[in-house]
Amino acid sequence: MSQDSLYRQAADTYGPSLDRLARAYELDPDARRDLLQEIHLNLWRSFAQFDGRCSLRTWVYRIAHNVATGHVIRQRRIRSRLVSIENLDTMPGNDQGEGAASQAEALERLSMLIQRLKPLDRQIIVSYLEDMDASSIGEITGLSPANIAMKVHRIKNILRRWFGEGGFHAE
Amino acid sequence: MPSEFPMNNPRNIWQSQPTEPFKMSTDEIRRKAQQLQRKARLGAVSWITIGLFLCVGFARTFARTHEVVPRIGWGLLSLWGIYGAYQAYKWIWPGKLPLDATVGTSLEFYRSELERQRDYVQHVWRRAGLTFCFLGLAIVLVPALIQSLGAPRLLRNAVPFSVLAAIWFAIFWPTRKRAQQKLQQEIEELRLSGTENRS
Repeated sequence: MSQDSLYRQAADTYGPSLDRLARAYELDPDARRDLLQEIHLNLWRSFAQFDGRCSLRTWVYRIAHNVATGHVIRQRRIRSRLVSIENLDTMPGNDQGEGAASQAEALERLSMLIQRLKPLDRQIIVSYLEDMDASSIGEITGLSPANIAMKVHRIKNILRRWFGEGGFHAE
Repeated sequence: MPSEFPMNNPRNIWQSQPTEPFKMSTDEIRRKAQQLQRKARLGAVSWITIGLFLCVGFARTFARTHEVVPRIGWGLLSLWGIYGAYQAYKWIWPGKLPLDATVGTSLEFYRSELERQRDYVQHVWRRAGLTFCFLGLAIVLVPALIQSLGAPRLLRNAVPFSVLAAIWFAIFWPTRKRAQQKLQQEIEELRLSGTENRS
């Protein structure tokens, strides 16, 4: 398959996920549009050397997350305030108690939570929210499935606290 | 099991958020990529030009000066200009950079980015050729200041510059050290995660 058709296929299949991923890394709408464009540009460029050694999905997410990570790293002042999943899990005062009043409010709360995390942990939570299993997340991030499982367990704890005990089903 | 309360299920909330389709065609993306490449080249060319401009400017002063000591100073400053141009070519010329974000896992990519940043912070003095700059300035300015000892007005004029330089030095070193330590700490944490994976 040519570079263009591989890109087209990836953009058609994962377009909405990439848009959501950009939202996990950038709250400002204009900057987010730029980030999304940068992701698509890098994706298109990368398909010149796609060798099929990993799945299209892994390739797409790896590049998207890496471009977005570069974006976070460039904002040095913001990066210095980011925390890990472990920090967030042990931090007091995250409990929001009852569930959100509306979908928009819930989404805002979730985005706020994601924005506080360091890039690698942000990738894990976003991949988890995109319904990926531990081995797929491991392929993208390079972390072991055991490490991912531990982090996902913590993510579930945090989400349970942030979104109320009753409604959230952590499977 | 899917939640009956979509508002309380973070996966539902996340996946049901409205998204906008990305509207650029592959031709537009290709054009944009070329445009960015041109922009990056232009940026690099401007830095190289500034370096060369400084080099020529200081070299002209070097040629016009007859005393040996200031000549050495102007010569060093001229070298600083050409060194700056070379560094700009080496580090920011597009195509000299690796095709970022493509091959490695996120862990490798993140670590390499942090290492790049740490190296930049660590070697910023060398990369900016500040030795040439400050040594050249000192050689040019100190004899002039000594000569002006008889004229306190000239000395008074040099005070703001000296104070600013002292403040810059006092801030530069600790800030650089702190940034380097923070980056190193994060790199070590990531390295530990990588080691855990292999074991």
